[in-house]
Amino acid sequence: MSGFATRAVHGGPGGTADPAHHALRGPVYDTVSFGFTSAAEIADAFAGRKAAHSYTRITNPTVAELEGRVQALAGGRGVVALSSGMAAISTTIMALAGAGTNIVAARSLFGNTASLLAHTLAPWGLETRFVDMDDLEQVAAAIDADTRAVFCESITNPQLEVVDLGALAAICRAKEVPLVVDNTATTFYLCPAGKLGADIEVISSTKYLSGGGTSVGGLIIDHGSFNWQKSPRLVEFAKGFGPFALLVALRREISRNIGACLAPHNAWLQTLGLETLALRLEKSCQNALDLARFLSRLPEVGAVNYPGLPDNPYHQLASRQFAGRYGGVLTFELAGRDECFACLDRLRLIKRATNINDNKTLAIHPASTIFTEFSPEQRAAMGVREGMIRISTGIEESEDLQQDLQQAIRSA
Amino acid sequence: MQITVNGEAKEFSEDQVNVTLVLTQQNVESPDMVAVQVNGAFVDKGEFDQRVLQEGDSVEFLYFMGGGAV
Repeated sequence: MSGFATRAVHGGPGGTADPAHHALRGPVYDTVSFGFTSAAEIADAFAGRKAAHSYTRITNPTVAELEGRVQALAGGRGVVALSSGMAAISTTIMALAGAGTNIVAARSLFGNTASLLAHTLAPWGLETRFVDMDDLEQVAAAIDADTRAVFCESITNPQLEVVDLGALAAICRAKEVPLVVDNTATTFYLCPAGKLGADIEVISSTKYLSGGGTSVGGLIIDHGSFNWQKSPRLVEFAKGFGPFALLVALRREISRNIGACLAPHNAWLQTLGLETLALRLEKSCQNALDLARFLSRLPEVGAVNYPGLPDNPYHQLASRQFAGRYGGVLTFELAGRDECFACLDRLRLIKRATNINDNKTLAIHPASTIFTEFSPEQRAAMGVREGMIRISTGIEESEDLQQDLQQAIRSA
Repeated sequence: MQITVNGEAKEFSEDQVNVTLVLTQQNVESPDMVAVQVNGAFVDKGEFDQRVLQEGDSVEFLYFMGGGAV
């Protein structure tokens, strides 16, 4: 097995992505449909008896190349690429749960994920039990016979809490409930979610994978560790397809019906980004660590939250779990909202934007943007404070980022 | 030896027939995207060489056209 960076560039053992011409950069199959020579052939394709793509909402060669390249790096039984990280999460939840059942989820979650569970899916009869993932007894107590999944993020955004995935996975295994881990913040480069016990890994490939913020996309990775006969929603698929139950359910029913397919051109962009993932992630993480240390020394800054700082409560766990790197997101505190706005307005290099893990360093005021739909009380419970600025580090020169933030903070 | 492959009876002259041989002889397209059932039970990809078939066994190929199947 070759190293990560080599596999990222050359892919797995699947051979060329372009059997027609052997182009080293696979083509973009920007097409909706695919022709067949006979009615029997198209019937065989739909039944899975023939290796053929039929319709791009279901599968597409360019999207399949991305899926295969991701699997070569992340492992697992199979990968499904979708139109966004939120599509990956919502499709996964719909594949596992339904009315009258519940999801046990971390109380600290990306705002849209929290909103999906609390606002969008609740009216359909799906309960979400938000728990403190630091309190494993509370997690275990929240799981009952109607729990269909446990959901968490490897590093929460923007609270930057780190979940002990091994300990959480042990609880999930004992309760026979699948563990779904959003690995966007760390990706499979820093965090081998499957080896740590995640049954399903979801990733917003918009972030680190796309590289340079080129395109929106999402991934579902089935790590092949859960017996789908234990999942009431998938038990019928498990009877026919055994360990492939989730993948078949996604392809033949759930993702096909929801229709959040990844555009082939975006898949092509994300395959290109995937090849430089290790290089960019290393630089982004180093920039974040440098910036966190720098901000900690500024008297105008109240608190700096970054798992890479030795006094951070998650430092030891993060060091063990993420191979000595800590992601590319940090937050710091100023006196209040006005000071945060003034600081953001004075930035010259760092961009004011709502994304993370771009090549460019980005800054945002979470309380007034990605968490604006929540009440002040809800935001407080989620650890999203009025004086908090979130920084997502890119791959620029570290000193340039420090100078830009210093002048913005001092001017504010 | 006669083995049923995707519902069709196929003759194999070899003394020992494993899943890999069936895949090769049937010119299976995109072997990385195929899952294999023998007599209704899925066989892990890592066991294709070890899984020796018997007279009358039924082998089914199921294609996953997304990336990564096994």
